[in-house]
Amino acid sequence: MSSPANPYPSSQVLAPNGEASGSKPQPTISKAEQSRQRRAVQEQQRAAKAAAKTAPNVPGPSRPRSGSKLPPAPSTPKKSGAGPSKTQKDSKDAGSLAGDEFTGKSRGLRIFSHFGLPKPVSHVGKGDIHPAIVRLGLQFSEFKISGANARCIATLIAFKTVIQDYITPPNNTLSRHLMTHLSPQITHLVSARPMSVTMGNAIRQLKLEISGSDIDLPEQDAKDVLCHKIDHYIRDRIIIADQVIQEIAGSKIKDGDVILTYARSSVVEKVLLRAFSDEKSFSVIVVDSRPMLEGKKLLSVLSSAGISCSYLLLPAIGSVITEVSTVFVGAHSLHSNGAVFSRAGTALVAMMAKQHSVPVVVCCETYKYSEGVQLDSFTKNELAPSSDLLSSYPLTRPRETLNLKGQPNLEILNPLYDLTPPTSITAVVTEVGVIPPSSISSIPFALGRQTL
Amino acid sequence: MASELNNPSQRLVENLASKLRRRQVVGSRQAALETVLVLRQVVSKARFSKFEQLVEIIRSAGRRLVEAQPKEHSVGNTVRKVLHHIREEYHTATKGRASASTRNAFSISKFVLQGQPRKQNVLTKTDEKGTIKENDPDDPDSFARGLKPVLMEAIQDVLDELETVYDNVSKNARDHIHSDEIILTIGKSKTVEAFLKSAAHHRNYTVIVAETGPSYSGHEMAQSLSSAGISTFLVPDSSIYALMSRVNKVILGAHAVLANGGMFAITGSLLAATAARAHSTPVVVCAGQFKLTPLWNLYHEYGALDFADPSNVLGFEEGGLVDKVDVINPYYDYVHPELVDAFITNDGDHPPSSIYRLIKETYDDEDHDL
Repeated sequence: MSSPANPYPSSQVLAPNGEASGSKPQPTISKAEQSRQRRAVQEQQRAAKAAAKTAPNVPGPSRPRSGSKLPPAPSTPKKSGAGPSKTQKDSKDAGSLAGDEFTGKSRGLRIFSHFGLPKPVSHVGKGDIHPAIVRLGLQFSEFKISGANARCIATLIAFKTVIQDYITPPNNTLSRHLMTHLSPQITHLVSARPMSVTMGNAIRQLKLEISGSDIDLPEQDAKDVLCHKIDHYIRDRIIIADQVIQEIAGSKIKDGDVILTYARSSVVEKVLLRAFSDEKSFSVIVVDSRPMLEGKKLLSVLSSAGISCSYLLLPAIGSVITEVSTVFVGAHSLHSNGAVFSRAGTALVAMMAKQHSVPVVVCCETYKYSEGVQLDSFTKNELAPSSDLLSSYPLTRPRETLNLKGQPNLEILNPLYDLTPPTSITAVVTEVGVIPPSSISSIPFALGRQTL
Repeated sequence: MASELNNPSQRLVENLASKLRRRQVVGSRQAALETVLVLRQVVSKARFSKFEQLVEIIRSAGRRLVEAQPKEHSVGNTVRKVLHHIREEYHTATKGRASASTRNAFSISKFVLQGQPRKQNVLTKTDEKGTIKENDPDDPDSFARGLKPVLMEAIQDVLDELETVYDNVSKNARDHIHSDEIILTIGKSKTVEAFLKSAAHHRNYTVIVAETGPSYSGHEMAQSLSSAGISTFLVPDSSIYALMSRVNKVILGAHAVLANGGMFAITGSLLAATAARAHSTPVVVCAGQFKLTPLWNLYHEYGALDFADPSNVLGFEEGGLVDKVDVINPYYDYVHPELVDAFITNDGDHPPSSIYRLIKETYDDEDHDL
């Protein structure tokens, strides 16, 4: 949606540069004239931007209109001809750097349009955003912190700082007001990257704790209690849960096994390291794929620990799947119909494994459970930024050949997640035990909830 | 004597063999074209007084080329096809009307026994004498002189077929693609590229190209298709499953089509075809008939056992990692016939089950082992 409007603000900034370089071969024109023309060009661009802004929701008609606004620019004395065309190109680059390829208006745009567009996060949020949250937002949007567990833990720790720095305004109580203070922080995080299920679950729990906190408690005590609750949540639901999962999943690894894993899951990594330290002898096949190529990190961790590893890209999985004894994958979230939402590619790995009767084991803490039913990976997904942020191109190829930006009719789509159907999953290992995918909806009961 | 006199053509054969071995000639059509050109030279330079001699000359050249690069199946296929055409021309030339009537008779029994009647013809041919005499003691070259023009024509036919293969594969493209369809393809196959571009003249549709690591040839494909005005999406391989639910048809290229209807194709084809099967999406393979190979996949159940440079997967920039890790980078996947719905060839559309019949028709049984 921002595509028609976006190029112009940046082109305004760039216009003087383009002009300056363009004016060099034409010294005969006076400076006054130059600045007048520059003003004229800027005026036009401003008008174009305004025109684009008036109709931001209809990219179709707004494009030709802004296009028709542009041609007058070269009609100003010829030296400025170089200026606008250059700035136009620059602004396009700037636009695509922001991860915005949706400049085309093909029919494909419509069916993919509901995928959240990765947008540049603002350094200054609206309202009163805590600096810890601002920093976290940047780390999220630049994928410095990624992965369901890491994001959840980072969010909770940041909220602890926010809670400690919070002062209840007069004539209000902490249990009533703290949540209104937290919600803009949450909104800021969501604007950086869509909220993960884990974060949603943790925040819901936090809200419950806040509203349930004792009104009579002194403020500092109440804050301390909340921070303790957060610590306990991280400890019980994530850290201890991981340890239990390591133990259970580790028992599924036998000597001589070949374990296949896809991308990088923190839980799977721990399971494999734990099993190796338990002196089991097994080898690991790490399968990986763009856009993230996270498997390389897992590979370096595992191989430096001394586990014998093979590495291959996802398309080659057909060649090795027959040798695999068990597939271990992580998850982003679990859905009550037994489907597992995970890093894009997991569904392909699970499908291939299932085809060859290789058990697929998903390692997943119960706090990733989501009540909703998801049917395919299409309705809800997230796009990876297509910029070089993730630096996942092989260095053997010149990067330019793999960067296809600003081509007409060509759009680049990098979905981050996909949904593995319950039919291709053998079992889910959680801290409450090994559950078949058909029984995932029993997790809330396993956690002690009495009613639906 | 023959080998001595064949020296210039021998050099040509060796030249192509080394090019194949060094993978300077890659791609099945390229290899097939080079092979026809070399065989044309070989035949035109060959000296023979008997038909069997000529066949042996071609076979030995073919054997040399196939051994140089056994995974480039189109080389062997081309040799077989040339042999088949040459035999046919020879039979018409030597037997004239008598054999023509038996050969052109189409009957159910002949249809069932494809390939068999030909063998009988080979056995009986010595009895009949046509216009051209074999083993003429007065003039040993007369046979070759008489036969060569028709042989050249036969080889030219093979060459013409190869040169027009993309046009012929794509001539019915619009019958396979309807408007507003979403097509998924992987990597870069020239046949698929021509097919999609031809369909784009008549239909408005969207192509999703999976980039297909580690060659990332999908990038080139996406660039080429989008510059032809087709609405194109470039996606990483990992999202094939996620997007498959909205894909109407998967169109793949092939490296070699095997006798059982399975195929060798670029790595990732098995993944895409399996995902398509999981979503009941039809899988269509575009391939020229020169890719039909009278082989079964005996090497490996899921691949062609042909491996490429691992540095494309895990480069030396990863430093210490390279020492400790096995990197696997196969060239081809084996896609079994159950995963393919149709083959679109330069000579009509065929289900995988007809490939065996096509192979029987295209090649002579005795050439299966060169």
